[in-house]
Amino acid sequence: MSNSMRLPAQPGEVIDRSRRIDIKWNGKKLSGFDGDTIASALVANEVRVVSRSMKYHRPRGYLTADFWDPNGFVQVGDDPNVRSGHRLIEKGMTVDPQNVWPSLDYDVKAANGLVGRFLTAGFYYKTFIKPQRLWPVYEKVLARFAPGGVVDLDTPHGLYDKRYAHPDVVVAGGGPAGMAAAIAAAEAGSKVMLVEHEHHLGGHLLWGSAEDRALAAELTAAVETAGVEVLLNSTVTGRYEDNWVAIAQRSHPQAIERLVKARAKMLVVAPGLIERPYVFAGNDKPGVMLSGAVRRMVNMYAAKPGSRAVVFTGNGDGDAAASDLERAGIEVARIVDARNGENILAAHGPAKSMDSVELADGTKVEADLLVTAVGWTAPTSLLNMAGDRPSYDANAARFFPNSPIDHVLSTGGIAGDGSHEELIEHAVATGRLAAARAAAIGHRLQAATRRAASVDGEAPAFAADDRPILPRDPHPELFRSTTHGIVDYSEDVGSKDLMAAAAEGYDSVELLKRFTTATMGPSQGKLETVNTVAVLGEARGETIEEVGTTVWRPPYAPITLGALGGRIHEPARVSSIQPWHEANGVTPILAGAWIRPEHYGNPESEVRNTRANVGITDVTPLGKLDLQGPDVPKLLSQLYTNKWMQLPVGSVRYGIMCAEDGVVLDDGVTGRLGDEHYLMTTTSSGAASIWEWAENWLQTEHPDWKVHVTPVTTGLTSINVAGPKSRELVSRLVAHAGDGAIDLDGEAFKYMQVRQGTIAGVPNCIMWRIGFTGELSFELHVPSGHGLHVWEALLEAGKDLGVRAFGLEAQRIMRLEKGHFIVGQDTDGLTKAPSTGMTSLIKLDKEDFAGKAELAWAMDTPLPVVVGIQTVDPLIVPAEASQIVREGTNEILGRITSSRMSPTLRRSVCLGQVAPESAAAGTELTVVLTTGERIKARVMEHHAHFDPEGARLRG
Amino acid sequence: MSLLPGKKSSKPPRYSAAGLIVKGARKQNWPRVWRDVPLKKSYDVVIIGGGVHGLATAYYLAANHGITNVAVLDKAYLGSGGSGRNTAIVRSNYLTPEGVAFYDRSLSLYNTMAADLNLNVMFSERGHMTLAHTDSALRTMNWRAEVNKLQDIDSSVIDPSEVKKLAPSLDTSSNARYPILGALYHPPGGTIRHDAVVWGYARGADHLGVEMHQKTEVLDILVEGGEGSATDAHDGKGAGGKVTGVRTNKGDISAPIVVNCTAGWATLISDMAGVKLPISTRPLQAAVTEPVKVFLPTVVVSGSLHVYVSQTDRGELVFGASVDPFNTYSVRGSLEFTEELAGHVLELMPGISKMRLLRQWAGLCDMTPDYSPVMGFTPVDGFLCDVGWGTYGFKAGPVSGEQMAECVATQMTPKLIEPFRLSRFSTGALVGEKGAAAVGH
Repeated sequence: MSNSMRLPAQPGEVIDRSRRIDIKWNGKKLSGFDGDTIASALVANEVRVVSRSMKYHRPRGYLTADFWDPNGFVQVGDDPNVRSGHRLIEKGMTVDPQNVWPSLDYDVKAANGLVGRFLTAGFYYKTFIKPQRLWPVYEKVLARFAPGGVVDLDTPHGLYDKRYAHPDVVVAGGGPAGMAAAIAAAEAGSKVMLVEHEHHLGGHLLWGSAEDRALAAELTAAVETAGVEVLLNSTVTGRYEDNWVAIAQRSHPQAIERLVKARAKMLVVAPGLIERPYVFAGNDKPGVMLSGAVRRMVNMYAAKPGSRAVVFTGNGDGDAAASDLERAGIEVARIVDARNGENILAAHGPAKSMDSVELADGTKVEADLLVTAVGWTAPTSLLNMAGDRPSYDANAARFFPNSPIDHVLSTGGIAGDGSHEELIEHAVATGRLAAARAAAIGHRLQAATRRAASVDGEAPAFAADDRPILPRDPHPELFRSTTHGIVDYSEDVGSKDLMAAAAEGYDSVELLKRFTTATMGPSQGKLETVNTVAVLGEARGETIEEVGTTVWRPPYAPITLGALGGRIHEPARVSSIQPWHEANGVTPILAGAWIRPEHYGNPESEVRNTRANVGITDVTPLGKLDLQGPDVPKLLSQLYTNKWMQLPVGSVRYGIMCAEDGVVLDDGVTGRLGDEHYLMTTTSSGAASIWEWAENWLQTEHPDWKVHVTPVTTGLTSINVAGPKSRELVSRLVAHAGDGAIDLDGEAFKYMQVRQGTIAGVPNCIMWRIGFTGELSFELHVPSGHGLHVWEALLEAGKDLGVRAFGLEAQRIMRLEKGHFIVGQDTDGLTKAPSTGMTSLIKLDKEDFAGKAELAWAMDTPLPVVVGIQTVDPLIVPAEASQIVREGTNEILGRITSSRMSPTLRRSVCLGQVAPESAAAGTELTVVLTTGERIKARVMEHHAHFDPEGARLRG
Repeated sequence: MSLLPGKKSSKPPRYSAAGLIVKGARKQNWPRVWRDVPLKKSYDVVIIGGGVHGLATAYYLAANHGITNVAVLDKAYLGSGGSGRNTAIVRSNYLTPEGVAFYDRSLSLYNTMAADLNLNVMFSERGHMTLAHTDSALRTMNWRAEVNKLQDIDSSVIDPSEVKKLAPSLDTSSNARYPILGALYHPPGGTIRHDAVVWGYARGADHLGVEMHQKTEVLDILVEGGEGSATDAHDGKGAGGKVTGVRTNKGDISAPIVVNCTAGWATLISDMAGVKLPISTRPLQAAVTEPVKVFLPTVVVSGSLHVYVSQTDRGELVFGASVDPFNTYSVRGSLEFTEELAGHVLELMPGISKMRLLRQWAGLCDMTPDYSPVMGFTPVDGFLCDVGWGTYGFKAGPVSGEQMAECVATQMTPKLIEPFRLSRFSTGALVGEKGAAAVGH
């Protein structure tokens, strides 16, 4: 049967007969030619049934034989829902039908068709209600009817990519109008990107007359000469705010699909028109095809869609289809001319084919092919996305763009009709207008930047729209015959369903859509919307204008998640010291954006060494913001709850930040490095959000403040040197005289002060004295290029002092021993600042700060309290999140937020949150372990379990 | 004030498989799901907003309290706002006892809704899984699980191998960029057909005599005797005023009680009565893929990756995200959203890169400072609010309607919604469900 339905060479064919390509269809081998789509290869091999419909599993053949064909979805290897009317065949391709069970030829679920009368649209809302316990069973059955292909969960990600483009003009659609507009815009000096959905430029000219094809060739050559960038097999999928245009490029030589993001100064929409199916009995039988589909099959692919045809025509395309068929030697048994009031009633035949057409005049004509040409839908999606709402013209029987949009122009069939000359004249005028406006926009944009001085002359005026107006050809309104048929092929929704739903009260187009699911399938209404609206109008006795239409939402054509996601570009961050960590037995931990050292084998011994000698730890992930400008104190006062207007140069201060609801957002220290220069640290997890928070205040509330915020988290490597011998260690590395010298004497450099200088030969380091671990400690922030050097220098210089690295776990243990809370662990999304016990840091006498109004209330209100907790049995460490309850009940009084076995105290230590009435020191608590066991614990006097007076860190 | 039961519509035929067969055999249509009647001059209660909240309030007013002379007004069609734009996820594993009690009531109403309303709302109790990608997320999951355990909510932390069993499409390997360390699993959570909930309440309310008026836009709220609104000190609106009715594009209606059940435009409606709400409106975007054969049996939420996903019985993957960080009334989707969404989804399920995004949209979320709603009475007598539902109004629809109906009927604030009164923004007693809501859906 190989190529048994292949016609002799056609003058406009795009296949290369010298290159045969074998593919596998439904388990069997068949061959086509280079240039064939899957659809044309199947049709040429006499395949008439390609899929089964969603609900009734009716056999379906090609209807439009292009990208939008609702019947043409196939599985190609691991690629589901491939448009077989669009995808070109490739050597070794495995193509399988979808929605078949167990097979395409024999489908058990087709039995649904027999009971179709009972399975009206939305039937599931009315059934399976009782008994309720059976619904989950029904649901599983319904889910088996889910349409579509199969996802192979082992599909490798493959190469997807993105590109940013900055063309002056993007033209969506490479038909004659799009090409002419692109050429005109390029000749007027614009950088133009022309995007064509199909594999060739030319649009409908490609399946037209010899004259049409000559015009296509001429325009295609001119596109190249004009220097237009052409993207074939690519679709403009969306137009977003400010002409941010998304293009799915399926033709990239390496990438499976590429998302091109173009900031287009002007967008020209020239997608042509989409032919509309006709609603009548049997309109989904294999053998019913639209005129465009038949002409493409015959003229471009030399594939014979049938042997004996009836052509139902209301326009010139239908007439042309009839003559194309005749020229190709396919018998045209009857032309049914709608313009003369003729009509068709039904296509008849056995399940999988068609054998006759019933006409309105009562005659029955034998035929295996019924061609319909009843008019078009204007794909106004991109215009909709720009704010246009199309309006219906009954005389032309289609929708047209309605309101002019400054940066989006339309041309070609979507804008009107006319001769080739008229359409091209309009397109050229559109291209020139686009170029003129793009130039004006470009001038304005350039003048708005700092390079304004280099902009020449006056800004050109925004050109007025003086394009000729295209005529609109009259066309009979042909939507539904007097019989009922399918309206939405992919959803299996018929005109009868729509009328029944409308009668039931789902009688606005949006309600109808939601109830019946019409227009919600893969072509998103491009074939079905107008017929849906027309049928609803019939049901309501209203015109199409009165019914209105639905809003088209992006994307215009489906785009792969792969292309949208692009290459996976979310690398985990590591500090500059990472090579040392890896070489020294680190156990890493993923913490937010970072991979950090959790420990180097024994966190408890790291703790003991730091407490006894000196330890160093890599704290680079700490969020760091460089703040400069005269108004930094105002910003700090706005963000933190405490006072910042008088912080002396050389000092650091700890602060808490709250959200507007008084909940603790972040904490950290900020140091004043110079008159107008500060360094703020945030928690690691707050690095990005606090930057946004600061910018939010500056940009939306206080644009007059002179503050520049620069995130420098990764620019500085941060090392904490902690322990009783830390001063000795650091003193061995700082310069003691000259530029960059730092005096480490306890009186000269006190707790909560900051110094800048040279460390281990590295200038411009920042160092401050703080004490998260509870030990005397120095936190160094060094330019990250030198981070590893300083780290290694510390280890080298401190060998005799017993210096060792410690990881995040040791740090967590030490801070818990010391009772320092962690925002987000010991506090949560409900914890207001007074709960932390830091009430002295909440300054309600300040003018304003984030959360002030709420905190004013919270300060006088009993709230949960963060407290130090120790279990009565020192060896039990209750898991974090263990609940604290009222004795003998399930009433929750609080929870353990942090817990560890303390290597220093050799007992379990905890922080927790408890209800205010249980917060007094000495209160006995009942803790429910995750096993359900209840144990006793006690509220401590301080958060700190170790050195509550802070003698060590001030040392 | 007298609130006499109004005239009920004649009893409609019940939905059932047998009914389908009979109607099919006789080729009969079903009667209208709700009547299309002309707008009257006065009602006992006017509800603004024909979404789940407004319709549920109307339904429970009629069903629980016999108050049936009620009109629900919608400027577009029923369910055109957030009710038809959400991702239809329901759950009750909240963090605070108040949150748990509230949403558990909602979930139980959803559970029996099909039978109560005689319309299959397709509640799919498919389980709800919140993934933990970090130690700190896992700690929060443990916390929620422990709280839920003490409150008899079926909710527990499961390990990656159990996650894999429940959702084989997830990448549970340890070398993932955002490794899955565990998940909070909540078997009673699931999805529901949101439009069906809207239609079910509308149909149920209609049967009891309530009127639904679509394409009926409220242009003003008529108030007398108030201290004046922010824009006009002499308009008689605002605190101390008394509602007398509403002005619509179809004429004036007099009514002693007007309930604002809108979202997205809640502040504009309240402004009409001279009541200021501390609400900012932000878009929340969602998207859906083309259908493929069902492979994801549960709802999956990842707070770290800002995404939640479920697969409908039709085979589409439905995705949602966090609210966008800016105020707007625009419901257009953005490209950045789809890019970020796809990137994050592929981190979770690397095998679905060839699936195609079919459609994206946005809905409007009314955010209050404490992420909790505003419910009950306002300083204007007769003007009530059920607004400010942020990102989780759909889940709360049934219980809100039930409580608001009680509030209207008894003229007392029910205990369950006491914490949500408007006055908390002046006294400072904000509600703390932010911690739970911020975790996502």
